[in-house]
Amino acid sequence: MTAGDTRACGRPVRTEAYLDLFQMLTGIVLVAFMWAHMVLVASINLDLGGGRVMNAIARFFEATYMAQIGGPLIGFIMLVHFVVAARKMPFRAREQKAIWRHSVNFSHTDTWLWIIQAATAFIILIMGSIHMWTVLTSLPITAAKSAGRIQGGWWFGFYLLLLPVIELHVGIGIYRIGVKWGYITRANRAQLHGFDNRLTFIMIGIGLVTLLTFLALVKA
Amino acid sequence: MGRTLKFNIFRFNPEDPASVARMDPFYLEETEAMTLFIALNLIRENQDPTLMFDFMCRAGICGSCAMLINGRPDLACHTKTKDLPGDITLLPLPIFKLIGDLCVDTGTWFRAMNERVGSWVHTSKTFDPQEEEERMDNALAEQIYELERCIECGCCVAACGKANMVPENFMGATAFNRIVRFMIDPRDERKNDEYFEVVGNEDGIFGCLGLLGCEDTCPKNIPLQDQLGMLRRKMGFSQVKHLFRALLPAKRIAK
Repeated sequence: MTAGDTRACGRPVRTEAYLDLFQMLTGIVLVAFMWAHMVLVASINLDLGGGRVMNAIARFFEATYMAQIGGPLIGFIMLVHFVVAARKMPFRAREQKAIWRHSVNFSHTDTWLWIIQAATAFIILIMGSIHMWTVLTSLPITAAKSAGRIQGGWWFGFYLLLLPVIELHVGIGIYRIGVKWGYITRANRAQLHGFDNRLTFIMIGIGLVTLLTFLALVKA
Repeated sequence: MGRTLKFNIFRFNPEDPASVARMDPFYLEETEAMTLFIALNLIRENQDPTLMFDFMCRAGICGSCAMLINGRPDLACHTKTKDLPGDITLLPLPIFKLIGDLCVDTGTWFRAMNERVGSWVHTSKTFDPQEEEERMDNALAEQIYELERCIECGCCVAACGKANMVPENFMGATAFNRIVRFMIDPRDERKNDEYFEVVGNEDGIFGCLGLLGCEDTCPKNIPLQDQLGMLRRKMGFSQVKHLFRALLPAKRIAK
């Protein structure tokens, strides 16, 4: 390679840049959706499990066809996000061994956060799909129907696992988007990561309270 | 003081067919202000003259004594034993070619990296040694100098999850830092697309996972995180323009 050579004469391949941008954009959409979803479902707590607020919100989303169209669309975006993001995951045994050995030896928080993110991605792909299929094939969404599922027993355990897994993935994901795209810098990293961690724990807390409300207060 | 330190040191000589990779234990009385540089020299002097490790400057300037110290890449010469537990494991840096024991060949890797990123000012101007030097804004000169401080020790590469996964091709934070250093230098005439050609791919900035191992271990405390973020944004967002140009009919763009 010499100075002033002809490297820039050909058209560069831009696909990997587009895929990385797409990974970031689908990630942001899904993070926004998950936080909004959590807040809306938590509306069950507003009238202590009475369900009037939640049912009204659910009716609005069905009357405007946002649930019927938006639901499968979110499922599709999740699948696309998984495929695009999975390009970064170690699928070969040699790579898996290398990243595991590195993580264990290095003992570095951000490296472990990525391992958690990669592991939770697979759980969300399966459990998130099951959740969406169940909800979207038994529309309309009502507080009583949701409570019935959770009070059945198995679904309570299902959501008890899915809740922290999703919130961790979403919380770590938005932090890493900020880092990778230069919005979280050396100057604000500690502060924004702390804020992100608190937000994740608050979301898990809201989710747990909501689950308990469905389990104990809402009439199935 | 007064601790007896236990060193577990990786031993292997690729030049010797009879050599087997192993961890050898060494014991040493800790002294005041002891660094790993002092400790390793004492071990080599008094216990095992065949122990291989690299040192030059003893002052964190040359970058030749980088190694994994209890799993963390750092310079042995500026690591004090009093900051470490009594049990110290020393391994050679991963990714780089092993010369023997704690010695690795970072030179070949960095030479290839510098050639790959075109690590010099690309200009069409002919240098005239008689002419007065071109003036530069002091703040910008300092900004360039800040990134120029890299000592090529290899700690950021060894700390990188991506580089550990795909050691053959990933460029690493040190290369991204080099590129940004020339990007902000007004004397370098390369355009964005020329930088994109080098770094706008999975082996380059779009392969970076943002794990910040580099940022958290750089012994010179170079703001690597900020360069990675800036480079990704610059390279990524500049492609949106190209995407629109490709998607929209040429006539509409012309208008």
